[in-house]
Amino acid sequence: MDDDKIFDSSLKKKKKKKTGFDIDAALAGEQAESTSKEAMVEPGDVDGDLPEDDNLDLDNFGKKKKKKKKPFFNLDELESSLPEVKEEKPPVEDPEPQEDEMVDDLDLDMDFSKMMKKKKRRPKNIDEIVADDDQAEDKENIEDMHGDWVGSDRDYTYDELLERVFEVMREKNPGMVAGKKQKFIMRPPQVVRIGTKKTSFANFTEICKTLHRQPKHLLDFLLAELGTSGSVDGNSQLIIKGRFQQKQIENVLRRYIKEYVTCHTCRSPDTILQKDTRLFFLQCETCGSRCSVASIKSGFQAVTGKRAAIRAKTA
Amino acid sequence: MSIQNLNTFDPFADAIKSSEDDVQDGLVHVRIQQRNGRKTLTTVQGLSSEYDLKKIVRACKKEFACNGTVVEHPEYGEVLQLQGDQRENICQWLTKSGLVKHEQLKVHGF
Repeated sequence: MDDDKIFDSSLKKKKKKKTGFDIDAALAGEQAESTSKEAMVEPGDVDGDLPEDDNLDLDNFGKKKKKKKKPFFNLDELESSLPEVKEEKPPVEDPEPQEDEMVDDLDLDMDFSKMMKKKKRRPKNIDEIVADDDQAEDKENIEDMHGDWVGSDRDYTYDELLERVFEVMREKNPGMVAGKKQKFIMRPPQVVRIGTKKTSFANFTEICKTLHRQPKHLLDFLLAELGTSGSVDGNSQLIIKGRFQQKQIENVLRRYIKEYVTCHTCRSPDTILQKDTRLFFLQCETCGSRCSVASIKSGFQAVTGKRAAIRAKTA
Repeated sequence: MSIQNLNTFDPFADAIKSSEDDVQDGLVHVRIQQRNGRKTLTTVQGLSSEYDLKKIVRACKKEFACNGTVVEHPEYGEVLQLQGDQRENICQWLTKSGLVKHEQLKVHGF
């Protein structure tokens, strides 16, 4: 799109200039209008040619860098070609410069591709880059990478080896992807503000059920983390004092799951939380590990309300 | 292989270390509390009592351009209070100044 736009503008420029030329021609010659019409038509043809060239370029090299450069070149070409245009041989002269321009562009593109390559694969010798330029286009494909491996006996970079190992792993067992644990899908908490000062956590009990945790435990954690007070109301939604957004509650929930739901050893969410001699233990059903988890403490709470109210309450 | 009974092992090494470390498990809790409107309060609890908290708070106030104070609490000791959401700032500042290691920091709140 961008390219087209730029191109259009250049086209317009050209057309403007062309019309100028037509007027000039008309002023100078004042001959039959048919010639001028021809002149009008032929530039149009040339213009029709131009986008094609552009498309070709795009097909050949999908590089972005080229786009910036090209318009300038067009302009230059235009300016260089315009004097020739004024010499009353527009249709014959125009295509040649464009071909030249094409060649220029090709060269440029090659340069850019080289540049790109250098950037992409830094840990390489210049010799290797030169060798690679032969197979420049298909570098992205891994299969070509394999071909690369077979052919040459250069030292492999660490990144390449790593990529290869992971490729093989993914090929051999698509189910197991390294580093990707079991997806633990949860419904997002529905958080709605009630009035200006309270927040409702509508599907609180539902989430407790999906996590297999006591609502009280989660409630304690939430209130301790958020440093507020709150309670579960009649239709099993949690009302928290203070303004909270869904994202914030999600954050806290995530922390809860990390600490009190997923097994610390195997990360499986299939766990039971037991209370044993005043301490909570997390028993994993998958791997059988058992570990204690931190107790929920709200810690220090600063005085945020009106001190007079507190004094009135205590006194 | 050495005989285990003959090893000189101090069974109270852990205890001494932990008492040196801090009040409870050496964690520094950084919390946020909502005040009225969109105002918040950041509290830092569990900083070692070896440090002069007043000096720390003075530096923090200057650094973060906020007000702050030190509150004495019977259970938790001296606690830093800073105005506004300074959780990021205080974490960075504490680690950068070397007062607290990154693992010791525990950020609470949303």
